[in-house]
Amino acid sequence: MAATLNADNPSQAYLPDFCAAATILVIVLIAELVAIVLTLAAHVTPGTFLTELAKMSMYMQWLALLSAALLCRSRPWLETFDSTRAFTIAFFMLASLCLLMAEITWQATSRYGLSVIIDDSHRGFVLRTIAVSSIVIALTMRYLYVASEWRRSIVLEAQSRISALQALIRPHFLFNSMNTIASLTRTDPKQAEEAVEDLADLLRANLGEPKQRTTLKQELEIAAIYQRIEKLRLGDRLSVRWDIADLPMRALIPSLTIQPLLENAIYHGIELLPDGGEVLVSGRRDGDNLRIEISNPVVPGKHGRKDGNNMAMSNIRQRYELAYDGRAAVAVDSSENEFRVLLTFPYEEGIA
Amino acid sequence: MRVLIVDDETPARNRLRQLLEDDGIHSIVGEAGNGKQALDVAAETGPDVVLLDIRMPGLSGIEVAHHLNTLQDPPAIIFTTAYDEYAIEAFETSAIGYVLKPVRQERLVKALQQAARISNRSITEVAGKSDMPDRRSHVCARVQDRLRLIAIDDISRFHADQKYVRVHHSGGEHLIDESLKALEVEFDDEFVRIHRGALVSITHIQSIGRATDGQMLVVLRNTPEDADGLIISRRHLADVKRRLKGA
Repeated sequence: MAATLNADNPSQAYLPDFCAAATILVIVLIAELVAIVLTLAAHVTPGTFLTELAKMSMYMQWLALLSAALLCRSRPWLETFDSTRAFTIAFFMLASLCLLMAEITWQATSRYGLSVIIDDSHRGFVLRTIAVSSIVIALTMRYLYVASEWRRSIVLEAQSRISALQALIRPHFLFNSMNTIASLTRTDPKQAEEAVEDLADLLRANLGEPKQRTTLKQELEIAAIYQRIEKLRLGDRLSVRWDIADLPMRALIPSLTIQPLLENAIYHGIELLPDGGEVLVSGRRDGDNLRIEISNPVVPGKHGRKDGNNMAMSNIRQRYELAYDGRAAVAVDSSENEFRVLLTFPYEEGIA
Repeated sequence: MRVLIVDDETPARNRLRQLLEDDGIHSIVGEAGNGKQALDVAAETGPDVVLLDIRMPGLSGIEVAHHLNTLQDPPAIIFTTAYDEYAIEAFETSAIGYVLKPVRQERLVKALQQAARISNRSITEVAGKSDMPDRRSHVCARVQDRLRLIAIDDISRFHADQKYVRVHHSGGEHLIDESLKALEVEFDDEFVRIHRGALVSITHIQSIGRATDGQMLVVLRNTPEDADGLIISRRHLADVKRRLKGA
């Protein structure tokens, strides 16, 4: 089907474009097949099959094309709902349309004396129309729904694979760290040695086969290593407060999602503040959910930043979406002086 | 050559110092950990060349380069950066000296040999390509041998004064060697032209009104010297009104 998928937000665009010629052709074909089936099933008088089919086709095509027109116009509105609700609303809209059309057809044919073409009572005709069209609509909707979900999961999966690659550490960080280490080899060889070990651990975590999930303990350890390296470079300007005692360390979390947020907080926040500042990483358990919040001061900015930390954010969003299928939330709250990211996701334990 | 090292990170400064000391040909006249300090040390010591980190908090390296050009005898500038592919592209096209971190001795020595002054135009070009803001946060006036930074937020107006521009700000008045046209383009968001020779800060406008002779005047806040108001030319009146409404 001619649905185009919006790469930024794959949960959108699950309905095909009913205004597109390709979709209309499919709808016309479905309507025609239904007309043939119905005519075949009802056909009793020999020699009248084609006439019967023509009448049936006209009625079916009329309903089908009006339905397509209705969906074409209402799609932008329908897409404001989640997919299940959108399909339910669309179903009732189309069923009502068919009911209305059945009534109009009946009235028109009886008024102009054409009732002969409909060999049924008023009630019978309307009921048959609504029953048949409901079944056909339901089947078509189901088909479209399954197709869109399948397409969506393929896109998400592919994106998450790309995201895992993109999650790699910023080159800026890598080269700055190496410069720091080069400098330390003379002034403080012991610290240089530790920095090389830390950098190696961090790269190993980034380079390895991308794991979908890891334990909170491991994830926080990576973030702490990252902090140690940055601390060498930024000195007193950087401090990080970890308020995470309430978090269950065995809980699972999509891997490499805390460290990039800490990296963002430093790159876009602390590094640009002449006196530096404090990043706060806090976490707690809230019933069946875990909440982890990362906040940092920013330069009170009317001259906003040019580059996007959007890539890291949308990447993390996608990975939570894929891992928890809508049960997790990644919220961003940005004010004049502060930038905050709140991760909310289900508490699950397991072996990572 | 006499070299000034500017970087907000201590290990990065140490590294450059070590390499220069190893080489032994050039002397280090000073080090600075931020842009303001860099301008002070540069004015005081008059270096031949400044090794300037691009990504610094407060005044970025790019803004510092602009201000260094205000000095009577501006130093040559070599930018240092860890990774910024777009800025590097701009360095190459406008032949601006740069070294990449981690800094290599040979590369540093070569850059110092070729070090040259850079024009404000090429700095602006680099600013457009890097991820640092390309609008300056300050303008810089030369007062005798020192550089005086004037924050854009403190400026009430720029006034053309022969071949210079007079900056009226909360701390007084200073001449800067820039063109009104370029200032108008750079600070388009906060300043509006009221006649051929003046830009006023939109946030500093208190009111506009008509004088007895029918001229339109603009009155600025906290500027006793302009208490009578400044004339808005007929040509610019519509634009001033539009900008005031938008503000």
